[in-house]
Amino acid sequence: MSAAASDRPRSLADVTQGAIAEALAVNGLWLDLGAVTLNVRSDSPVLAAQLKIVYGHYPFIDKGDWADAHIRIMQARGLRRWVRPQVVFYCDGRLAFDPFPADSPLPLLEWGANWLVAQRLNDLLLLHAGAVERDGFALLLPAMPGSGKSTLTAALTQRGWRLLSDEFGAYDPEAGVFRAMLKPVALKNASIEVIRDFAPDAVIGPVFPKTRKGRVAHLAANMASVQRRYETARPGAVVLPQWQKGSPTRWEPLAEHVLFPALSFNAFNYNLLGEAGFRAAITLVRQCLGWQLIYSDLDDALATIDAAWPGVVERHAQAEAS
Amino acid sequence: MQRFARVEGILVEPIGHLWAAFSPATGETALLNDESASILEVLEIEPADTAAVCAVLSSDSGIAPDELFALVDGSWQQLTEVGLVRELPVSRNHPQ
Repeated sequence: MSAAASDRPRSLADVTQGAIAEALAVNGLWLDLGAVTLNVRSDSPVLAAQLKIVYGHYPFIDKGDWADAHIRIMQARGLRRWVRPQVVFYCDGRLAFDPFPADSPLPLLEWGANWLVAQRLNDLLLLHAGAVERDGFALLLPAMPGSGKSTLTAALTQRGWRLLSDEFGAYDPEAGVFRAMLKPVALKNASIEVIRDFAPDAVIGPVFPKTRKGRVAHLAANMASVQRRYETARPGAVVLPQWQKGSPTRWEPLAEHVLFPALSFNAFNYNLLGEAGFRAAITLVRQCLGWQLIYSDLDDALATIDAAWPGVVERHAQAEAS
Repeated sequence: MQRFARVEGILVEPIGHLWAAFSPATGETALLNDESASILEVLEIEPADTAAVCAVLSSDSGIAPDELFALVDGSWQQLTEVGLVRELPVSRNHPQ
């Protein structure tokens, strides 16, 4: 699926902003996310700089041989260009969404790309979850409203966990593994400052103050995550996070009948996959250990996960041995 | 009495205290309690009406068929809507 190729193993951080802008303007920039490759073209004067920050470790590919989707982020034409400049999102030549302000092509790209992935990658069960990896096993953080999924996912990646995706638990039912759908982590509102304080060295792109989801900024995937984006992860554990102001950390095991709907009914394409989706969800529920994590202190939450993880690995080792 | 058949190809799996059931007819997944899952299990053998299902469940559980009747009779609508069972046309061999 992901077959973009280049003769030049340089990253976006290695090349000039002008080279990225030129790629965007001519044949497009290929963004190889692991399980999916995007071709992005744009005439936006600011997108190159934004991509250089948050996709800095990704290979710079200006001549690829395949893309799962062709995206164009273009400046709106006509009077719009002068009165209230905007950018619009085209996919495979078709206008797909309402425009964004001209200085916000990155959130439009990220939002639109997520939508496209959710629409198109139906060989995978796309759980709506943050996904990270350690010791070869995936830890899933399903998205519930106000759960703090992105904050926790981002924090884990700053403490040695490999980012697979902030948005998609991309499970390959045939292979029985999770694949990386590696994009920057979208931090919203207060979580931007939370992660800045938590990991001052983290690379975070510009803050976009007025998106539909409030303030948004994007945490770049680190180099190790990008370099290992073709490495799969076996199903490990599911944690349903819930940030609760002032709460002590609570870590409670979850039964299968709680895990199943949390995974399947929250997936992007569960219904579309029919029987395959059902079987995949049952497999995951059988294989994964599950907990609910209620927390207010991020360090304590991470310490709790870290403390439980050896048990997860051990349990899978025992299962494989038997 | 109206008879019901289990829809062909449905998948039923135990998950914790409940059961997950998938219907290829509707594409829907339902979470079932033990009682509904038991009804599907009875229908796996052959189509049945409420009384026949109650009789089987009664012999399994020791609960009197009369006590099970309302529960079984009240389950048909949901099981039908989700596509896990279907009503059979009334035949001369099984008059209502």
